[in-house]
Amino acid sequence: MVRVLAALVVGVVLAIGASVGVVNVVAPSPEPPNKPLYNYGNR
Amino acid sequence: MRAHRLARLAPGLAALVAGLLVLGPALGPGFVLRYDMVFVPEPPVTWSTGGFPRAVPSDLVVALLAHVLPAPAVQKLILVGIFVLAGCGAAALVPGNRVIPRLAAAVFYAWNAYLAQRLLLGQWALLLGFAGLPWAVRAAARGGPWRLALALIPAAVGGFQAMLVSALAVLPVAATGSSRRFRAPLEALAVLAVLSLPWAVPASLSHAVTDPAGVDAFAARADGPFGTLGSLLSLGGIWNAQADVPGQAAWVLAGARLLVAVTAILAFVRLPRTADDAGVPYGKGLLIAASAGLAIALAGAYAPGVLKGMIGLWPGFGPLRDGQLYIAPLVLVQAVGFGMLAGRFSRPDAAGRRAAVFVPAVVGVLLPVLVLPTLAWGASGRLAAVEYPDDWRRVQEIVNGDPRPGALISLPWGAHRAFPWNGGRVILDPATKLFARRVIWDDTLLVGLAGGRLLRVPGEDLLGRRIGVAIGAGGGPLTSILRAAGIRYVLIAGRDDNVFPSRLPGAIPAFVGAEVLLLRL
Repeated sequence: MVRVLAALVVGVVLAIGASVGVVNVVAPSPEPPNKPLYNYGNR
Repeated sequence: MRAHRLARLAPGLAALVAGLLVLGPALGPGFVLRYDMVFVPEPPVTWSTGGFPRAVPSDLVVALLAHVLPAPAVQKLILVGIFVLAGCGAAALVPGNRVIPRLAAAVFYAWNAYLAQRLLLGQWALLLGFAGLPWAVRAAARGGPWRLALALIPAAVGGFQAMLVSALAVLPVAATGSSRRFRAPLEALAVLAVLSLPWAVPASLSHAVTDPAGVDAFAARADGPFGTLGSLLSLGGIWNAQADVPGQAAWVLAGARLLVAVTAILAFVRLPRTADDAGVPYGKGLLIAASAGLAIALAGAYAPGVLKGMIGLWPGFGPLRDGQLYIAPLVLVQAVGFGMLAGRFSRPDAAGRRAAVFVPAVVGVLLPVLVLPTLAWGASGRLAAVEYPDDWRRVQEIVNGDPRPGALISLPWGAHRAFPWNGGRVILDPATKLFARRVIWDDTLLVGLAGGRLLRVPGEDLLGRRIGVAIGAGGGPLTSILRAAGIRYVLIAGRDDNVFPSRLPGAIPAFVGAEVLLLRL
């Protein structure tokens, strides 16, 4: 029973964390400046 | 019987679902173009055409497959196949016959920061090796050169990075997992060497050079709140901030990933590690490989001088500069360990209650997704399929239909492009893949550092370097110089962005379009 409860708690906490993470990422953010980007990437 | 078959198929199905969820919009019509992932319509069947053979033989295999299937379908099959192969392989390494540990291992290996970041950097060829890694480890542990050769086919197709990562895992597993202590690693080495010939031979003939400065650009770095070591243990830490999964640095999720990683490693360490104990003959070798991979990744971050010195002595050490890619065996360690943990927490209790199995099993299998949720749907839109503008197809037809020899030079003089039709996503210049002749391009890599500084990693192609010097030397005419270098075509993308045609007196426009200009010398 302890295992079930622990799994439920972990699952719920992570599901909430995941939901917040997804909402933060898909929330509208200012459009990035439209400039040519020729770098391979940034560190 | 049907339930048994379903149980056997479950890891593969779970990995397929994971792949479809991750790729999402990338499975639409057209090509997925991002950083090193550049697929083109009707790719020419060519071998290495100069410079370091980074896409050998992967591009050749894609070109051959594109003769049978449309090129976009080839790309999608490869991408989905990576997930399925990876998930099934990780499941096959989990000891025992229980479904839940195998399912959890499959989902973990198909949904983690390493796979996500390398996918977002477009390194599908490396991911072929990553997907085949569990199979290669399994084959190395069982012994037999033919079995190993078969398991290494995905890595062999992927090319040098995929084979190096595979060698890192295969050799210690072969050396520690078999009673044939001396013969097995020698056999594995021979198989690895033979399958590496397609890229090793052109690499040795290319006279490519590697600048030690690349260590500063490509060393692992912190991509979350727990520093470089924490990032690497969490299977992230890639050098490029643009390859991070959106939102991955959030404290709760990053902390959960690190916790899962550490407990999964501990679970793997506690596995019996010899064939005599419980059929996990790869355990010791895989732990050695994971430790070595982590050490390579940490060396670039904490002791860059050592790597720079090694590359300065011999350019063959160049591939070590991107150290994070060598943590692939650590991903496998964690996947198997995680599967064992999920199995332990979902074992039936004394009362035989179904909830004791079902609830922990569901949470366990979904855990890798919950700690990296924004990887879903093309990493929240970072991956998407687009169509090439017709202009690119037209210049491809003209150049590839021309029987006269001569190289093509691609301008603007820079390796990467960010086209509006590709949503501004940065990609390697597609001209490097489109044409059935030598393409000369600037393979100098520009990497942005903190404070807006720009690190320039000089190109590896010596001819490209020479042409670059000529182009950069003032604004004088270049026609005769380029002709003398054996160049027949000049392709200029983004016509409004440069005034280069004025430096090519006598050049004949072969195609003038809104997207590209093609000049014949």
